[in-house]
Formats: sequence, structure tokens, C-alpha cells
Amino acid sequence: MATTAPGWLTLSSALAWAGTLLLVASLLPMVREPRLVAMLGGLDRMLRWHHRLGTLGYALVLGHPLALAAARWSASPRAAWEAIAPWGQPVGVTLGWAALGLLMAGLASTFAMRLPYRRWRWLHRLLAPGVLGGVAHAGLLSGRAAPALALGAIALAALGWRLLRADLGLAASPYRVERVAMRAAGVIEATLAPQAAPLPVQAGQFVLAAFGEGPHYHGCDEFHPFTVSGVGAGGTLSVAVKALGPCTRRLQALQPGVAVRLQGPFGDFLDDRGAAPQLWVAGGIGVTPFVAALREGPVRRPTTLVYLFRDRRDAAFLEELQALAAADRGFELLAAEADERLAPLEAMLARVPGLGGRRVHACGPAAMVDALRGRLARHGVAAGAVRAERFDFR
Amino acid sequence: MRTLFLSSTLAFWITVAAFWAGGTWWPGAGGGQATAADREIAAAEVARHAVPKDCWMIIDGRVYDVTRYLPNHPVGPSMVVPWCGKDASEAYCTKNAGRPHTAYADQLLPAYRIGTLAH
Repeated sequence: MATTAPGWLTLSSALAWAGTLLLVASLLPMVREPRLVAMLGGLDRMLRWHHRLGTLGYALVLGHPLALAAARWSASPRAAWEAIAPWGQPVGVTLGWAALGLLMAGLASTFAMRLPYRRWRWLHRLLAPGVLGGVAHAGLLSGRAAPALALGAIALAALGWRLLRADLGLAASPYRVERVAMRAAGVIEATLAPQAAPLPVQAGQFVLAAFGEGPHYHGCDEFHPFTVSGVGAGGTLSVAVKALGPCTRRLQALQPGVAVRLQGPFGDFLDDRGAAPQLWVAGGIGVTPFVAALREGPVRRPTTLVYLFRDRRDAAFLEELQALAAADRGFELLAAEADERLAPLEAMLARVPGLGGRRVHACGPAAMVDALRGRLARHGVAAGAVRAERFDFR
Repeated sequence: MRTLFLSSTLAFWITVAAFWAGGTWWPGAGGGQATAADREIAAAEVARHAVPKDCWMIIDGRVYDVTRYLPNHPVGPSMVVPWCGKDASEAYCTKNAGRPHTAYADQLLPAYRIGTLAH
């Protein structure tokens, strides 16, 4: 027995420390500083690393109590169970179970994409005490205080930085609502003027905005992502707001004069357009980044915008796009109503000259983007020529 | 990542349930080791295993072979080696500094038990 138990104990310890290290490392990509995000390849890439490190760390940590029990199995099955039973244990062991429970609940809700965003965000925050509890458990029971303290300090620093600068908005820039225009049923466009140094925003990017108080308006004052629909003189920018949840429904009644806090900008969706002719595919409010690009001026290369929407009443910016297409010979607009079957898409793609040589940018629901990728491949468009953006923070 | 989460969580709970079932319905199985742990060992016998490569010690009336554990001791083997072949009860309970070993150490110890001190 003594020849096999040490191996299991060593494995248990290795899994615990490796898993805890990865969990703490997963907090670092959540430090949402725009310049750091740009340096590390964008928010999407950082989110992917956050997901990978967190899930892998969790999986390793799961192995830790199992290996501990395995070390006791040859003594007796009862001893093995008593080594990990959640009850009747010292505080340090109970803390470990509590931390594991929080990680499990937090991760389970992370993958429940149908949850309303607010509830999803609240449940996702369970992961923070889960990680901290796991570090405390490691420090209490391993006898190795120094590495536990170091990991705990890194975790607290990352969480604190994120809480203060991003979630509470201490790093936010002050703006004020200058104009509000209705662009479709349930879609407004708010033009915002900077009250201090403006953010360096470009078409294709998004900002996090928290709308506060105005003379006759009370906003949620929560940060939500909004795609930039235009960049104006003097640092003004416009964002499109679609009514998707409690805060964005309240924003449909937004008025000029309301104070806004902005973080960002984030994203590089339209940075890599290259010199090739363009095909832009937009689903619903996904048309917004393309509107921002078209408002910059006449297109520099042949550009076709395929715009799909459920109903003409939902087609934000449609009239403006039609006017731009009429005025710019290099820009072609193909617009149609479509449901989730995307019936008109194939015929619209067939009308795009030289489709195989086009650089494609797509923005819309995931199902639309997935269907589009398959059809583009059949038309000879290389996978590397397609850039898609979901503009979803989960 | 969703697949990794779901599969690892499912495997975890199935294994935990197996340990619970084993501990509940077959608590005393693994008799070979139980027999070894019941073996009575005299203090003189323990004293003959007093070097790092063959290190036995007595803690609270039980005899442990900690030879394979020595390299894994958190502060290194040097704090443990002086107690090879001896009764280390006081040292284990106080670490000679008024502080007991951790609950984790208490959990590890039974894995190294080889017998009971003969009186």
C-alpha cells in the first residue's frame, strides 16, 4: 500500500496546484484595459483564453479530491470516502468543497447562454469567490503558505482592478447625450459628445456605455456593449441601441442631456479590410458597424452589403443605406426579409460578382454566421477570407 | 469547453458516488492492508529503521513507514529525519514550535501506517 499511496498523493497535490494556478491565470484576461486588450489581440481572443484557462483549471482541480481518496482506498474503502466526504471535516476541507461548489455553479451558468444577460452575469460572479476559496483551501491544508499567498494576491489584484476600473467604471470617460433618433422599431441611435478627452473610436469598434441621469430620465447606470454607428467631428460618436433587455428597453426613451460613462473602444472588426473587393453580410442590428464604415465616405473598393432582417420595421438604417447606395457607385446594397431559414441568402450571394475573390465581413446572430460560412465555402471563398463578429460578451 | 466541463463534472460525480458506495457498503474491504495495520511492532524493531532510506517512526501508538514520503515533506526531509526510528508523537503534534500539523497532514498519515506499537 505504501508503494502506491504516495503516487496518488503526489498526483493529488500536483492536480490541486496546477488547477489553482490555471484558475488564477484565467482572471488575468478579464482585466479589461483597452490598450492591454489591443496588445493581446482583442477582446475575443482574451475571452477565449479566459474560457480555456478557467475550464481546464476546473477540470484539474476536480481530480485532486479523487486522487486523495484513491490514496486511501487500499487502506479501506471507508477510509477513502472519509478522506473526501463533504461533512464532518476540518474547516479547510469544507472550504474546499464550498469553493468547488461555487466553481461548478458558476461554470454551469456560464455555458447556459439562454439565460438573460443580467442573471448570467450575476451567476458568473460566483466564480470569483470560488477561485479565492480554492486558493485559501490550498494554503490552509498544504502547509505551503507562500505560493498560496502569492496566488491569492494575484487573484485579488486582478479582481480588484476589474471591479474598480471596469465594473464600477473608475476608468470611464464622461460623455453626454447630444441627440437621439429612432432608427427602427425598438432601435434608437444616440449621439454622444465627450465632456473630457474623447475616446479614439473607429468604425467597426464597440464601447461599453453606462447611461445615467438626465433632466427627465433615469438610466440603469450599468455598462453594456454598444456598437459604434458613426464617428463625428469633435470626438462625438453614435451608438445603436436595440431593445433586448430591461436596460436597453429603458434606453428607448433616452433623451438629450443624459450623462453617459464610456469605456473602450474595443474591437478591430473592420481593421483588416485589405485591398480586395468586399462582401459585408449583416443580420439585424449587426448592420451597425457597416453603417459606421459607410458614413466615413465613399468606399475605396467595390463593396456589397447583404442586409437580412426579419421585418422591414426592424431594418435599422435601411433608408440611409439605400441613399448611400444610390449616391456611391462602388457600394451595392442587397436587402431582404428573412427568417432563421435564411431563404433569400443563396440567391443574394449568387448576385455578388467575383464572390470567390472577396474579403468577407459578417456580423449577426451565430446561426446566420454559421450558415453563411458553409455557403461561402461552396462558392469558393477561403475560410481565412471570412471575418465574423458576434459582439456578444459571453 | 462546454464538453470538457460537462464530461469532467459527470466523471467527477460518478467517481465520488463510487467512493461513497464503497465506503458505505464495503467499508472494511481491502483486508490485506487492514491486517498489516493491525500488526504489532516493538519499539526496538522501529529503532532498527532509523535512516532516511529506511525510516520508521511512532506517532500516538501507531507505527509509520515514511520513507517514501520524506522527499515530499513541505519543508524538506531534514525536519523529519532526526525522528527516524523514534517516537515522534510530540514532534508531530507540536512541530517543536507549539503548532500542530495541518488537517491535510492528518489525512496523509494513515496512508503510511504499517502497524501498532507493541506494549
